[in-house]
Amino acid sequence: MAEPILRVENLCCGFHTEDGYIRVVDSVSFECEAGKTLGLVGESGCGKTVSALAVMGLLPQPAGVVEEGRILFRGEDLASTSHDTMRVVRGQQIGMIFQEPMTALNPVHRVGKQLFEALRLYESGLEKDELTARAVEALEQVGIPDPERRLREYPHQLSGGMRQRVMIAMALAGQPEILIADEPTTALDVTVQAQILDLLRELQQERGMTMIFITHDLGVVAEFCDEVLVMYAGRIAERAPVGQLFKTPRHPYTHGLIESLPRMDTPSRTPLNTIEGVVPKLTEMPAGCRFSNRCSYADERCGLEVPALESCAERGAVRDPRDPNHDEETRAAEPRAARHEVACHHWQRLAA
Amino acid sequence: MSAPLLEVRNLTKFFPVRAGVFLRKVGDVHAVDDVSFTLHRGETLGLVGESGCGKSTVGKTILNLLRPTAGQVLFEGRDLGTLSHAEWRAVRRDIQIVFQDPMESLNARHTVGQILEEPFVIHKLGTPEERNVWARDLLERVGLPRSAVSRFPHEFSGGQRQRIGIARAIALKPKLIICDEAVSALDVSVRAQIVNLLLELQHDMELALLFIAHDLSVVRHVSNEVAVMYLGRIVERASSNEIYDQPCHPYTRALVSAIPLPDPGRERERIVLEGDVPSPIEPPPGCRFHTRCAHAERVCAEKTPEWETVTPWQQVACHRWRELQEQTGP
Repeated sequence: MAEPILRVENLCCGFHTEDGYIRVVDSVSFECEAGKTLGLVGESGCGKTVSALAVMGLLPQPAGVVEEGRILFRGEDLASTSHDTMRVVRGQQIGMIFQEPMTALNPVHRVGKQLFEALRLYESGLEKDELTARAVEALEQVGIPDPERRLREYPHQLSGGMRQRVMIAMALAGQPEILIADEPTTALDVTVQAQILDLLRELQQERGMTMIFITHDLGVVAEFCDEVLVMYAGRIAERAPVGQLFKTPRHPYTHGLIESLPRMDTPSRTPLNTIEGVVPKLTEMPAGCRFSNRCSYADERCGLEVPALESCAERGAVRDPRDPNHDEETRAAEPRAARHEVACHHWQRLAA
Repeated sequence: MSAPLLEVRNLTKFFPVRAGVFLRKVGDVHAVDDVSFTLHRGETLGLVGESGCGKSTVGKTILNLLRPTAGQVLFEGRDLGTLSHAEWRAVRRDIQIVFQDPMESLNARHTVGQILEEPFVIHKLGTPEERNVWARDLLERVGLPRSAVSRFPHEFSGGQRQRIGIARAIALKPKLIICDEAVSALDVSVRAQIVNLLLELQHDMELALLFIAHDLSVVRHVSNEVAVMYLGRIVERASSNEIYDQPCHPYTRALVSAIPLPDPGRERERIVLEGDVPSPIEPPPGCRFHTRCAHAERVCAEKTPEWETVTPWQQVACHRWRELQEQTGP
């Protein structure tokens, strides 16, 4: 198996607040395979953005803390590395784009100036002409028509889709190997979202970039990601290749989430399936499985014992059984992407 | 068929654009241009479109929060534009609105009880004791504990706040509720709860809903009929099944094809529109979609398309829908 480009092990992070320390991300582990897209999906407050910020070393300071865990990028632990190293990693190795490009762009500077700044960071000593040429090229790559004019404009003069394209151009200026996209299309209209997703897909193929795609939209996950990590209240509930996640969701939460979507091919005006209740507050989490207070499968054990992430892959689904090399050894060496894991005491009941 | 509850006729709303020292009018934002539709008691009309297409302006103009530039809004046969203040006050009991962000539409300094009693106070209904009981009843009706009256909006989650917003809207037993992106800011599992609540209330109270949203899959789910807006105009109207199964307008087709489906591996044709929506200050002549339409011809730039009937449940404003349907099949 190829060494994953990014491996996060047992990441725990949280914030110091007036009410004391609150852990927001609890024992999260995942790997990103080079050139693939990993989806981080979950509802507001599930810790998906905080996990990504921790990887970038961008947790708000001084409140945000990475308590424990390792973030291994090409074997180097980013959680314990120096600020100087992180400055190099950010942008040149791992880039990030955010949900609302209007807040990420500086409203009082022209687009050109901001893009120049990004370009200068990675390559010092560029002449003005060269810089402009580079910037124009960068904007062309993200599909912005008339880039010379756009460079002289301010962010508010651009549409939402254009702004997100500028953000993508800035994030890619350092030629990162991994791009973390945090809800990059959530603030955009569907048709613009389709444009941006197409662009990201194209850029990923051209550059062989790895992507971590954070979203709450299961539709986007289905169309864009290779592997998916479903998070609930700071923990991983389920991880699976995208096809399996939608075909055979094993965690009651994932199942409920998929079932509660209004579908285009079902009759309208019928009640939707729901997950009753609300996510518990971070300060009032159940001791065991955090979904236990909303789960119809929950019993006493769920309230007390934290379920571990265990494999729930069907043998046939993992590998063709006719394959003569199908034994335990080769199974263990298979890429992670073929694995399906769930953190639930009762996944077998759900599967049945 | 009985007379419609709400009839919107050729509704137009322009906002002036002013510039210069004397703030002279230099143009108009054509927010809503010649929009017509009807809504019957107990039914839902979905109004869908992208940001800036004028869908929220339609909602606000119906409520007279904005004065229409032209056109009429008829509620139970009465032209709302001709009503006196006193008459409006009476009509307001029948038409309510639920906004996207309840944190902004609920007074943060009032308790939930105060918020829910306010409609009764404004309309001089009941004694203080009765109002308090009614407020508690309303909370129960929307699935919140009766004890919530003494709490403040910030103590609730987004979904619970939206329940409070809905409770306030149904307080005076209205006949029509305008839901302006009422579920757009909510998480998936909570959104389903709120959608179910709205459907249930609609059924019990014979409410008509004007459901304004950008998310076609949600709109389709709650609506009997869907109207698709683009740049101030409705381009297609259809029953909620037709709009997805056989969209006729090229814009509706693009919109439907752009919705990401939670169904990996499903092959389907994707129509990705080029460019951005043109400025509503100088909207393109003819069909407003022609600048981005892959099927546009000369006639599209010259003549505004008339309404054409596809089926009794579906109308489209496009010069070329027949040819397109022949090309691509229904």
